[in-house]
Amino acid sequence: MNAMNFNFLRDDPLPPNGRRVAIIGAGPSGLAAAGYLGGLGYQVDAYDKLPSPGGLMTFGIPSHRIPSERIDAGVRILERRLGVNFHCATKVCCSAPLHEEEGDHFSAEMIGLGELVDDHDAVLICTGAWKSRKPGLPGEVLPGVYSGLEFLFPIRAARYARPDVTVPKVEGKRVAVIGAGHSAMDAAHSANHLGAAEVSVVYRRTRNDAPCGTFEIDRLEELGIRWMEKTSPLEILGDDHVEGMRVSGPEGESVLDVDVVIYAIGEIPTPPFAGKLGLENIRKGDVRWLNMTSIDNVFVAGDVLSGPSKVGKAVESGLKAARSLANWLDLKGENREAEFHGSEKVGR
Amino acid sequence: MDGKTLYVDYSRCIGCETCEAVCGFIHDTPRIHMTRTRDGLMVPLYCRHCEDAPCAKSCKKGALVRDRDGALVLQPMLCRGCETRQCILACPFGALFLTRTGVAVRKCDLCAGRRDIGLGPACVEMCPCGAVMHVERDTVPELCTEESEEALKRVIAHIRPAVKRPG
Repeated sequence: MNAMNFNFLRDDPLPPNGRRVAIIGAGPSGLAAAGYLGGLGYQVDAYDKLPSPGGLMTFGIPSHRIPSERIDAGVRILERRLGVNFHCATKVCCSAPLHEEEGDHFSAEMIGLGELVDDHDAVLICTGAWKSRKPGLPGEVLPGVYSGLEFLFPIRAARYARPDVTVPKVEGKRVAVIGAGHSAMDAAHSANHLGAAEVSVVYRRTRNDAPCGTFEIDRLEELGIRWMEKTSPLEILGDDHVEGMRVSGPEGESVLDVDVVIYAIGEIPTPPFAGKLGLENIRKGDVRWLNMTSIDNVFVAGDVLSGPSKVGKAVESGLKAARSLANWLDLKGENREAEFHGSEKVGR
Repeated sequence: MDGKTLYVDYSRCIGCETCEAVCGFIHDTPRIHMTRTRDGLMVPLYCRHCEDAPCAKSCKKGALVRDRDGALVLQPMLCRGCETRQCILACPFGALFLTRTGVAVRKCDLCAGRRDIGLGPACVEMCPCGAVMHVERDTVPELCTEESEEALKRVIAHIRPAVKRPG
């Protein structure tokens, strides 16, 4: 398997230019930025809370969709050819306490953002969207209720064989998945693959409205997964574990007998220091410099800025932010910051 | 015919849009274009650099020519100012795109500038799934699988829907 070559712009990097850049988050946007900056001769330090780079390409999206060897090979090129240093299992300190987002329990070390800003010429934040949106149902805290990421993540992460990571046990159980996006589909497929006795996908609108498209739903049904449209969950039942879910469907209210509920209804961006960085202004396009936060030399890119989207959007955002960062440092070095005219707006 | 072409295995494509994003980053506007089929599949439309290319045959200006590597490239100076845009209608794969600039259309040139310095097409390098390939034209049939043919059929049904006309 060939590499996902983040160093696609040139074969050999330019000679070292003496500048150091820290990239926080080694997902698609962070890796694309590392390839761009590493190729220009920057010394890049990439930090990630997970035990291995790749972000959701490695830990969220199932390997039958994105082969992890291809990502790993791309990371090796960054390391060996561009000299990018990867600091994995390292969380850069954030506004939220540790152990609040999926995957935080992997971090063995914590570093403050201030430290990084002091030690580097610039910092690029590409931390993505890792907090699951909650359905707000009574009973959603019961054991047996998972978010899409909570459920999918350990399946991929289990090969790192850590005692605190266990694949959710769904064998022989009845599973309900709430939502109809791609991660809902992935969760339903994974549950089915792990030997669930019965899988139902519950969606409040019709199959034609489903973000994943009707083709994916047809495929689910071919596998014997039940598709329940125009059905909204009302309450998750049970005392100390999930015993059922009360739903309201086209034929009125009913109770689904399920043992596991997975809600995959979207993620929320999780930037460190969102307020201080002035991310809201960047989203509106009100910036002094493309992708730069309200702290000088601190840039931001990817899903953390624009909300959960697609690998391609993240890659593009990472590349553009990296280019903007390099321009900023180059012009600032010559006291020519005023020449920035911001023709390129941040896309959402 | 010798030379390499682009091949997308639609059964491996997850519709992540990385190809389009990277293409747009290095060229002014992307020349590989993501589209959503009616059944919700995201797929990229791309140029096959056909051996017997309908776009080249339809172009009255002779602006679509074969380069040394067998890629079918657009000569902007010849295309500029064309108003017929017959090539767009002629392409069976929806791989030529209208522009709003003086050069009427844009299309994939297999990253001509990159090939000049020994690099391959950027979309191939960056596809997370390895679904986009830069391969010798005559090896394409070997790369096709049952799944990829099935997926291709769905894409073609989307680009060229069978129209039932009354009577």
